Parts: sequence; structure tokens; C-alpha cells
Amino acid sequence: MNRPPAWIRIKIQGERGGFRLWLPLFLLLPLALVVLIILSPLILIAVLILWPSGWGKWALSVLRAAYNIFCSLRGLKVDIQSRRETVYISIQ
Amino acid sequence: MNENHKKILEMLNEKKISVDDAYRLLNTIDSAEGSRESTPKTRTAVKDKPKYLRVTIVPDPEHEHSKDVDRVNVRVPMSLLRSGIKLASLIPTEARDKVDGALKEKGIDFNTRNMKPEDIEELIESLSELEVDIVSSKGEKVRVFVE
Repeated sequence: MNRPPAWIRIKIQGERGGFRLWLPLFLLLPLALVVLIILSPLILIAVLILWPSGWGKWALSVLRAAYNIFCSLRGLKVDIQSRRETVYISIQ
Repeated sequence: MNENHKKILEMLNEKKISVDDAYRLLNTIDSAEGSRESTPKTRTAVKDKPKYLRVTIVPDPEHEHSKDVDRVNVRVPMSLLRSGIKLASLIPTEARDKVDGALKEKGIDFNTRNMKPEDIEELIESLSELEVDIVSSKGEKVRVFVE
């Protein structure tokens, strides 16, 4: 399985202005892990309630697939420069 | 001639095994060694698996330094395509029917239910041979390829 990405860089520049975002995910991921651990009893209860209807298994599969997508984002690069706008997204 | 071949010939010489047995044993050893030799090739093939889907639009070299042109450089990891298709397979049946209906309205007769993990792998494998090269009338070069 891939490792989760460590950095996200977003730069959007338009005619009316823009914004830059530089996110060190490797610092945020431990915090997210703590939040996940705190919320895990609630998630477990929700999954157990939904299990008889079949949606519990589905919810777990979706969570796993969503995490896989997050990990697969590593290496994504979008660099578009037009006359008026610039969009730069890099996930490392 | 390696040690195994020698041992088989010695056994044949000592009449411990018949000619047929020796022939069969020699063939077995040769085929085993052949498959061992082909392993590095397989490893190279795995290594050469496409990692990224690239889309680039490069302006005409004459206007390359001009700010008035469009430039596109997109790199999508293949693993993202794989995970995305897997997530799409988890779409509930009701929603999937709606997606299929919407696609059909647009003239795309595609059934998302028929998509299997083996098909995804085959699709991604076949993408390794993909290469699109387009030169527009303005001189822009559009390239879609995998690397």
C-alpha cells in the first residue's frame, strides 16, 4: 500500500487575485490520527448499527477506498497556465 | 555442464537410472534453469509498469516565451486511477443506475456494473501503449502518454 502524501502545494492565480496554500500533511496526519482514535468508538457503533442492513460493510469498504485514494494522490501534479489564470496543484 | 547434469550422467553410467529417466531429469533441470533466467526479465517488466498518465500542452516554439499562451502539464498517478475505479465500484446500485442512465442520455452506452477488478488491471496495462500526439493549427503540441 502507498504511503500517504506528505506535502500539498496549491497555487491559484486569477485576474481578481488568488491564493497559495502550502500544507505539510506529515505534521497534520498525526493530529488526524488522534481525531480518528477519539472518534473510533462512534464509528464502531455506527458500523455495528448499520451491519444488519448491509450498509456497515459498505461503509467500511468506502472508508478503506477513500484512504487508498488519499494515498494514491502522492505524485499528482496539475500545472495549467492560461492567459488569465494559473492553477498549480502538487501533491508529494 | 553444471553439477546436476554431471550427477545425472554419473547415475546413468552407474546404471542407477535408465536413459529415459536421465533424459527426463535433464529436461526438467533445463526448464527449471530457463525459468530462473527469465525471472529478471519479469522483474524488468514489473518495473516498467506505467506509473503516471501525462497530459501536456506545449505552445508553438516561436511563442514559447510569450505570456499569452496556454500551457498544461498534468501528471496523474496510475494508482489514483486504479483506486478511483475501485471506489466507483462501491457506488450503491440505485446511484449506479442513475449514472448509467445519465451516460446513456449522452449517447454513452456503458454499464458500470460490468466493471470487474481484472478489467481495471487490463485497462491500465493497455494504457502503457497509449500515446497521443496532436499539433494544432496554432502550433500547440498536445501530448497524452504514460511514463
